[in-house]
Amino acid sequence: MANDIIIKELVKVFKKHHTEVRAVDSVSFEIREGELFGLLGPNGAGKTTLIKCISTLLIPDMGTAIVGGNDVLKEPISVRKKIGVLTGGERTLYWKLSAIDNLKYFAALYGVPSKQVKQRVDFLLELMGLKDRANENVEKFSSGMKQKLAIARALIHDPPILLIDEPTLGLDPYFARFIRHFVKEELSHKLKKTILLTTHYMDEADELCDRVAFMNRGKIEALDTPTALKKGMPQEQVLELKCLGDLNKNSFAELKEASGINILKKDGYVYIRINTGNPESLLSRLVDTIRDKAKVLSVNVTSPTLEDVFVYLTGASLKDTQDE
Amino acid sequence: MNVIIAEIKKSFKILLAYPVEIIFWIISPLLWAVPLVFQGKAIIGGLRSTAFGNIAGTEEFIPYVLIGAIVSTYMASSVWSMGFALRDETYYGTLEHILSAPVKPVQILLGKALFNSMLSTTYVIIQLLICILIFGLQFTFYKILPILFFLVLLIAGLYGIGFAAAGLTLLVKEAHGLLHLFEYVLFLFSPIRYPVEINPITRTISIFIPLTYALIALRGLLLNIEFDFWKNSLILLGIDLVIIPLGLYIFHWVEMHTKLKGTLSEY
Repeated sequence: MANDIIIKELVKVFKKHHTEVRAVDSVSFEIREGELFGLLGPNGAGKTTLIKCISTLLIPDMGTAIVGGNDVLKEPISVRKKIGVLTGGERTLYWKLSAIDNLKYFAALYGVPSKQVKQRVDFLLELMGLKDRANENVEKFSSGMKQKLAIARALIHDPPILLIDEPTLGLDPYFARFIRHFVKEELSHKLKKTILLTTHYMDEADELCDRVAFMNRGKIEALDTPTALKKGMPQEQVLELKCLGDLNKNSFAELKEASGINILKKDGYVYIRINTGNPESLLSRLVDTIRDKAKVLSVNVTSPTLEDVFVYLTGASLKDTQDE
Repeated sequence: MNVIIAEIKKSFKILLAYPVEIIFWIISPLLWAVPLVFQGKAIIGGLRSTAFGNIAGTEEFIPYVLIGAIVSTYMASSVWSMGFALRDETYYGTLEHILSAPVKPVQILLGKALFNSMLSTTYVIIQLLICILIFGLQFTFYKILPILFFLVLLIAGLYGIGFAAAGLTLLVKEAHGLLHLFEYVLFLFSPIRYPVEINPITRTISIFIPLTYALIALRGLLLNIEFDFWKNSLILLGIDLVIIPLGLYIFHWVEMHTKLKGTLSEY
């Protein structure tokens, strides 16, 4: 199977106030035709910068990016014909125009032949369940509906390659679930699109992607299938503690496993996850360490998730770095 | 062509979404004209001035200024509307999506420019009607073709300025000051409000500004002032041939620069 996206030694450096940030640092990977490829990493990892280089919105400083057989620097218009771009966030459409007018405008921009525009727009509105609201201004839409329309816009010229950047960002669980299902079942399985998806939600990538690459501080740290990455962990078990209290990385400084601890804060609770071959022994030491700082509510032994692998490989939490 | 038409339709529909904006476009030509007339009367003490005629070639100060103001409508449209055309897309959040479409940005800019010209022309027609019906400007319809000819040459040159303004706005982001400065320079060095012959510096610099030749021609046609038709049209055409590629080059350079620096969609 041919490669739809080939990235070789790509570098993008931003200079501001005499400091240099290597947002994309010698990144190389290939995405096969029809593959759903995930680019994972925390905010600030360089994922969006990379997507912008691929979509011709940024000019890389070094390296090459070939998309659908065309070089992004030498043939940007040919590249743009082959890609559809979907980004997270609400403000990517004309709010004062109706759904149908938004799609018709972008159809013209993306070179859809005039005779096919109505058919294509009707098909996409039907596909996204927006047919009944087609003539309403986008400003009246919910966030989820706006994202559905943004998907329709990305598909307006039926591109073989889709660049999807944080598609569920800011969406409620219902729409986030819908978008994930749509990306996997409709876009990947049914329409056979080649998809590059960026996300900092590891469970999203685990659920959707054929292969994933971990990106951290501009570099690719690991690349494989989710299953292979999880199997690559030295231990097959993860000890998880649900706690109430104020805990951070420093709370575990005296433990020799400290660097591999992943701390997640959710709904007022603190979840501590740590990869181990001997959960029983670790548990007693862990409880001793946090006895004065937090109350342990429950203990669980589970399999590693992609996030555990990310923490193990990079030593960084997904919430560690600043926004891109 | 589809892109240009789509851009015009989109801009028109967005304009319709703001009804107050339409009311402004209908009422403001009248509000614009009255102070100019009163100002003229206060300064020259009537409608005609021999002293003014010695410099401007016509004693009719008020029609002179009104024609200048009509032309300045097109100038303001190209500087402001074109300057802020892509800036508006940044506010909508759509800039990156239109620039990742497989079209050259100049097609989108051209669509925006044509839409602005349509709006300006509507505005100018209302202004002209006010001038003819209220202030007695003589207008003979057989002159309409040469007037249109000079207007097209003028607007083409202003598009060049507009492309540069659009690029510079992408570069500096907050461009109100820059565009005001640009507009005031054009006001100072072209005979929009006064005859540039009054000062040797303004007279010399005005030679390089397309508005000068358009104004000489339009005033010549509307106020029956003698002027060289072919000389003015050829100079205007020559300036257009320089200014349009220059405006496009500036826009293209800024686009590449912002893509290199990563500042394209920054506010």
